[in-house]
Amino acid sequence: MNELKGNMTHPDSEVLAEFRAGLIAGRHGARISAHLAACERCAGLCDQLTEISALLAAVPATAMPEAVAHRLDGVLAAEAAHRDDAERAVGDSSRDRAPSPRPRRRWDFRLVALRVLAPAAAVAVLAAGGYGLSRIGGSSTASEASGTAASSPATAPLPQARAAVPSSAATSRPVAIPAHYSLQIVTSQTNYLRATLRQQLAREMKRYAEGVAGPPRPASAQVKGCVLRVIKDTRPVIVELVETARFQGQPAIVIVAASGRHDVAWVTTSTCSDSSDHVLAMTTLPGTYAP
Amino acid sequence: MPSTDGEWPSDTELLRRHVAGDSDAFGELFRRHRDRLWAVALRTVCDPEEAADALQDAMISAFRRAADFRGDSAVTTWLHRIVVNASLDRLRRRAVRPVASAGDEEALEALLAHDQDPARAADTRLDIDAALRILPPPQRAALVVVDMLGYSVDDAAAILDTSPGTVKSRCARARARLLPYVAHLRGNRSATERVSPAQGGDA
Repeated sequence: MNELKGNMTHPDSEVLAEFRAGLIAGRHGARISAHLAACERCAGLCDQLTEISALLAAVPATAMPEAVAHRLDGVLAAEAAHRDDAERAVGDSSRDRAPSPRPRRRWDFRLVALRVLAPAAAVAVLAAGGYGLSRIGGSSTASEASGTAASSPATAPLPQARAAVPSSAATSRPVAIPAHYSLQIVTSQTNYLRATLRQQLAREMKRYAEGVAGPPRPASAQVKGCVLRVIKDTRPVIVELVETARFQGQPAIVIVAASGRHDVAWVTTSTCSDSSDHVLAMTTLPGTYAP
Repeated sequence: MPSTDGEWPSDTELLRRHVAGDSDAFGELFRRHRDRLWAVALRTVCDPEEAADALQDAMISAFRRAADFRGDSAVTTWLHRIVVNASLDRLRRRAVRPVASAGDEEALEALLAHDQDPARAADTRLDIDAALRILPPPQRAALVVVDMLGYSVDDAAAILDTSPGTVKSRCARARARLLPYVAHLRGNRSATERVSPAQGGDA
């Protein structure tokens, strides 16, 4: 109460702000009221407090940056895919089917399988610690794999890919991804457009499943870094396709990865690396591996 | 903002579908409100990278805990609350690092010093974000939700998980703290015509 002695002393700004917020009532409030009626300085401060609220309200809303939106879309798509997987695994076991070779906990480990160029490519599996990089399959299995894949890309490569996961992976520790893993990249003439991205990607994936694709070459360290950065927030994935292409006419990198029942696709700028990515677009596709 | 009638499923309906197993419902809910959720996170943590991380924590948490939503508040209130909590968590975790760096404080001091020199006061313009950074996080969150996003005190109390009285008092203290900078926040064409706000108590 000392801050107010009749009209002789001005209330401090915090008291004024509390008074304006309706927090000071009673006799104390009445005295502040009386003071404000007589004191131009304090009335001015009250105006300025109101002005602060108005200035804050006038700040234009910031739209979420596209890169953040895409990243979060990817995270949520992966959450949904993970939940679907978990629920199916529960469903499978509750119906007492043959023991599933696909343990429910599989996605709980950061087991990253890099499987590039759909069925024709070798399947590279990265598992924890001791596994490092192991290659399973290879060119000798390409023809049979692509044969089935061409007729039914929705189901064909699944057993092979799942078999590629070492059975003891479930007991492994979360993986630290080694820098020397192998990753293939292809070049495409496709100019992806935002409006038709899904359809174009679906067509592209089908082409790969049918083995109609440009020759793969080892990805540069920059591209590897980019892929790892882009997929890091998605649950363990199988990278299916990495290609250089164009997006809205600009050079871009396209990454498609299977995560649970869905494929998640990202389009980044061609400068994407392990230290920065600019995701231009992101979408989900019905999974190549969907049952 | 879509209305909640007709062909648009309501937020509650989307959340119900999500809990029932619909894979797309939560993503839809997120896309519907993402700009406001982003604004809350960004203004509360004052850093885009941290805001993105906080929002990601929040959305994963909301995705997984959706079944706990009891419908005693609006879905948006519930989402905002999770985002605010995740944002304040982030700030607590990095509390070893000062939120406002010494550099910020010095710059603000310098800004106030310029007020003594009316000729220069008009040249300086203080960014809203810089101003928000000087506030303690709980005050900042309250001010963001009430003054910037326009929520009522009661809704803000639900979002901030506290009482309406606490919301009012945090906002009041925050505004009082920003008072010395109001001319700069205004962008300042008429700063020199205004009475320079003195710290309270002088006779």
